[in-house]
Amino acid sequence: MKNMMIRLLAAAAALVLALCVPAFGLCEETEEITTIVTIVPAPDQTQAERPPCFPDPTENYIPLPETENFAEGKKVISGAHTDVYVNSNVNDGKTDTYWESKGFPAEMVIDLGQTHAVSTVAVCLNPASIWEPRIQEIAVWVSADGESYTEVAAAEKYQFDPATGNRIRIDFDTVDAAFVKVIFTLNSSSRTGGAQAAEICVY
Amino acid sequence: MKRTRMTILVVFVLSLLLALPAMTEDAATLLTIYEGPKTMTSSRIASVSANGYDLFVYDVMVNHEHIWNANTQPARTPMTYFDFEGKVRVEITMPGLEKPVESAKVIPQSYGIEPTVRDGVVSFLITEPGQYTVVFNDSVNKALHIFANPLETDVPDPNDPNVFYIGPGEWVMDAIALQDNQTLYISGGAVVHSIVSVANAENVRICGRGIIDGSDYPAWNQPGSYARVPIDLNHSKNVRVEGIILANSNCWNLNSYSSKDVTIDNVKIISGRQNGDGFTFQSCTNHLVTNCFARTWDDSLVLKNYSGSTKGITFRNIQIWTDLAQSMEIGYETDKGWTLDPEISDVLFEDITVLYNFHKPVISIHNSDDAYVHDIVYRNIVVENALMQGDNGNNKELIEMTLLKYGWSTVKDEYGSIDNVLIDGLTVLNTVDGRMPASRFVGHNEKHRITNVTLRNITINGQPITDLKTMKVTINDYCEAITIE
Repeated sequence: MKNMMIRLLAAAAALVLALCVPAFGLCEETEEITTIVTIVPAPDQTQAERPPCFPDPTENYIPLPETENFAEGKKVISGAHTDVYVNSNVNDGKTDTYWESKGFPAEMVIDLGQTHAVSTVAVCLNPASIWEPRIQEIAVWVSADGESYTEVAAAEKYQFDPATGNRIRIDFDTVDAAFVKVIFTLNSSSRTGGAQAAEICVY
Repeated sequence: MKRTRMTILVVFVLSLLLALPAMTEDAATLLTIYEGPKTMTSSRIASVSANGYDLFVYDVMVNHEHIWNANTQPARTPMTYFDFEGKVRVEITMPGLEKPVESAKVIPQSYGIEPTVRDGVVSFLITEPGQYTVVFNDSVNKALHIFANPLETDVPDPNDPNVFYIGPGEWVMDAIALQDNQTLYISGGAVVHSIVSVANAENVRICGRGIIDGSDYPAWNQPGSYARVPIDLNHSKNVRVEGIILANSNCWNLNSYSSKDVTIDNVKIISGRQNGDGFTFQSCTNHLVTNCFARTWDDSLVLKNYSGSTKGITFRNIQIWTDLAQSMEIGYETDKGWTLDPEISDVLFEDITVLYNFHKPVISIHNSDDAYVHDIVYRNIVVENALMQGDNGNNKELIEMTLLKYGWSTVKDEYGSIDNVLIDGLTVLNTVDGRMPASRFVGHNEKHRITNVTLRNITINGQPITDLKTMKVTINDYCEAITIE
């Protein structure tokens, strides 16, 4: 009976030791780690795509006239610009370059080269979303000779937002003009102390 | 016989007592792993598994050139990540190494992990989330970075209109601009070629486990390129950045300018290109950075003044690997914006492990403009490898504090001061050839001085340091109360 008791105790001790030794890492090499795994799958793709949570905003862009832009490539006259953001960027046909004035008020005169019947001025920033929403205050004046100007759109605050293409359009009654002067008096962006325009278009 | 029976009984009871806690705990490990994008292939340098499950391994840019080079070409090193709770056995093979793995080290050394290497397979067990780096054959070449995250909590609701939820996969977008109350979630398994801008915004959160990747863009200083900052906070407030990885930036990495109340947790940065600073804040207040990792090819943690003062910045439990420049830098620009009475104050670096510094000082205050820099604390700093080679023999100090003008100075004709700095607990485990690295303190004149700097609990190469001479500290005439305890 005593021998049986001893054998039972010895067997129990051996069992407990067998259980506890791996639990304390002494048999780490062979330890099986019970694992509940979650494998997060990747979608089928053949190339990098635009994230679906950022739908392409171009459908919501403010539409511009499909007629000729009389301003593109024409002579421009303005005051001091900031850094490398030169005046000629304002009508080079590209929205990834821009003009930035050195302070306010900032006037940008576009010499259309000849007289056109104009009824819309559009001011565009880079539509990339890094160009966060901002407000600029803008007025439009026109001239036949570059000396005597007439206001066609009084100063007004316009909201630029990449969600709508970071562009605004100013419509007015059709008028003959050889020169268009766009006057900026405010920009709400904290990144600059001047006016900004990637393109000024005249239709 | 009685003695035998008694002995067995004692063994039995003791075994039972020892085994009970282990037997009663929940032994199952919870492991989350992420497939890599199907447009990408896993690293050919490294293969890594966690509890037998293969991980996707990314090859990311790092840089072994320890001197500035405007046209530097980065190298690649493997990096992988997963989330877990419990225990994970990591197994690694390195087919991309030039020779078979004969030895391996897991750092930080404070983990106390001794990996086994058998037939070219490196194996070790981890039991707590953290950032683990494996160095093979005593060479930093192709060191493996493993980011073992805690399981995710508080994942944002993708149906919330204020949440932009980017799932696994490879994604590209020019830029992501976040506004008030918006959250950007980048899932594990996602690689996002884009940048994130938070300008004039409040209550913004950026979180997840995925990667913001800059490899699409040439280095910012190359013709036609420009800086594409992966995360750029500008005049913003109450911003949280959590859990994500920034890799292959074409410039600096997590930038904050004139922002306040910013919390950054478990963010991992690896960069190898020009001006690839890690966590870089200018004129910010109340920023808390915890549980992060920065391997950088420029300053790893850096505070400057661009427009206004800096106040209340804490870096806690951070791992740093500085391939170029300084590990913990205040300066050089301390008043770039010509501010009235600029200050940098109430800054705490705590529980920082510098895995490697290969270039310039580990702890540095370069007050090169006219700021009043004061109340700066460094507590429990461990430098595993202080291998500063400097630039042509200069700038290789362990600690450097100066009131000198440099090329980065804006204010040329006025000077500032440095006051009340505490370094409490600085342990350096390895230096170049076991030599004592120098340190220096340089004030400007009687009016512009470095004062009240206390060094306490300093140990270098196992030697407790109790005097400045042993520590090779040089102090010029315009310093006062630089003491060691």
